[in-house]
Amino acid sequence: MAAPFRPCDRCAKPAVVHNTVIVNGKVTELHLCEEHAAAAGIVVPAAVPINALLGQLAQVGAARSAGPACTQCGQTFADFKNTGLLGCPACYEAFAATVSPTIARSQGGATQHVGRAPARNGAEVPRSALLAKLNRELDEALATEQYERAARLRDRIRDMRPRAGGAEEGTPQ
Amino acid sequence: MSGSAPEPLRPTDDSDVVMSCRVRLARNLAGFPFVGRATHPQRREVLESVRAAAGTDEASLGLQASDRAVPSPLAWVDMPSLPRRDRQLLFERHLVSKQFAEGDSPRAVAITPDERFSMMVNEEDHVRLQVLRPGNALRDAFASALRVDDALGGRLDFAFHPRWGYLTACPTNVGCGIRVGVMVHLRALRVTNEIEKVKRAAKELHLAVRGFHGEGTDATGDWFQVSNQRTLGVTEEEVLESIAGRIMPALVTWEREARRVLLDRQRLLLEDRVFRGLALLRSARLLGLDEAVKQLSTVRLGVCVGLVPDVALETLNRLTIQAQPAHLRAADPSIDGDDDERAARARAVRAALGG
Repeated sequence: MAAPFRPCDRCAKPAVVHNTVIVNGKVTELHLCEEHAAAAGIVVPAAVPINALLGQLAQVGAARSAGPACTQCGQTFADFKNTGLLGCPACYEAFAATVSPTIARSQGGATQHVGRAPARNGAEVPRSALLAKLNRELDEALATEQYERAARLRDRIRDMRPRAGGAEEGTPQ
Repeated sequence: MSGSAPEPLRPTDDSDVVMSCRVRLARNLAGFPFVGRATHPQRREVLESVRAAAGTDEASLGLQASDRAVPSPLAWVDMPSLPRRDRQLLFERHLVSKQFAEGDSPRAVAITPDERFSMMVNEEDHVRLQVLRPGNALRDAFASALRVDDALGGRLDFAFHPRWGYLTACPTNVGCGIRVGVMVHLRALRVTNEIEKVKRAAKELHLAVRGFHGEGTDATGDWFQVSNQRTLGVTEEEVLESIAGRIMPALVTWEREARRVLLDRQRLLLEDRVFRGLALLRSARLLGLDEAVKQLSTVRLGVCVGLVPDVALETLNRLTIQAQPAHLRAADPSIDGDDDERAARARAVRAALGG
């Protein structure tokens, strides 16, 4: 329904600004056309086509409700917030900004895997991280006199070192 | 599946405190959405891939025991086509989770006949496998779980990230994706009011303390499942050592110490509770689940400290499982309604305890 026509207080043009002001305890209504409103220092919003406005509103709504989405599986940030679960392996990158601190919080600050890696798809744990970890474990095992464990750890560390000199010793014929 | 005594409940070392231990691994297949986001056809494809990779028996999973000439077959149980009672039975047996038992989308569980190995496909993650052992046998369970991981990992592409390790649907399970846990009976620590202290200590050590049936269940009968929560920035061996080398021995020591204190200082009170419990179990005609589990727990404490020589620990462990609703109904399909169930429970308990 269209608003009833109201002329500007200062000319005959239609008023676009309708303000209610209280001056010295007296309520006064103010109706101004675009030009007189601008002259009075009141900013009049530029006209925006309604469909563009609605489009923008819809986008804002979507962004607020669902957030960004994973390009691989379509899972949205809102889905993750609601379920606590990710949609696919690629979600770890798509939502890294939130997922990384979540993981660190739940894992006592840890941010690097140092355990096993699957043999088949060529994945690897960075050697430096694993070596540092194994050395720390070795120190701990020695400090607590767990010698069997220390021996196992020492073997693992030795196995990880690149073989200097390659085929110098024990080369099969 | 029958309702008879599960193999993992036969007593072994430390079995006065530790009923069982288990090692669980969470894995997902690369190239598929995680289960929650996967379509039913994708879930079926995951299921078929894992099934093909697992093979037909324990040998193909690296699990064949040295004393068995012929490997035991792997039984695949299709959950959607399983009657509700049998799903509940698997849950009561700790072979599947409640969430898994209740769902009707494509999912199945593989179980060895001795129930020491089970693998849920399409739970929260594509693969959730567990190796269960009676008593204190964590290192053995750990070695078996890693052998299965090697076997499956050699035939399937697991989702893996150089920084986060094995990728899981819930980001708090990444890294090793391993849970090393023990089911412990801490009845004396409850009586001496020290259980909250234990729980606080466990929390500080990043351990999860859960009830008899895992996440979201209470500690009926003072059974607690204690397992690691940290899975990132630690090696699998480190997780094992923290539980098997430090946490479990500490829990066993504390509980035994509390039992000794009770015997030394409050023997009459302890005897009163134990023998009242035994009398109730041997006399009741209608027995609710909570009441049964609670009294079995008290009598178990009495057996462990030598007050009740005529009852075996194994009997009580078995009854704790067999008094569960689906187990009673499996043993007697004519049970209809709560009163029937309570009467059947009372009969089963009286029969086992000589009431």
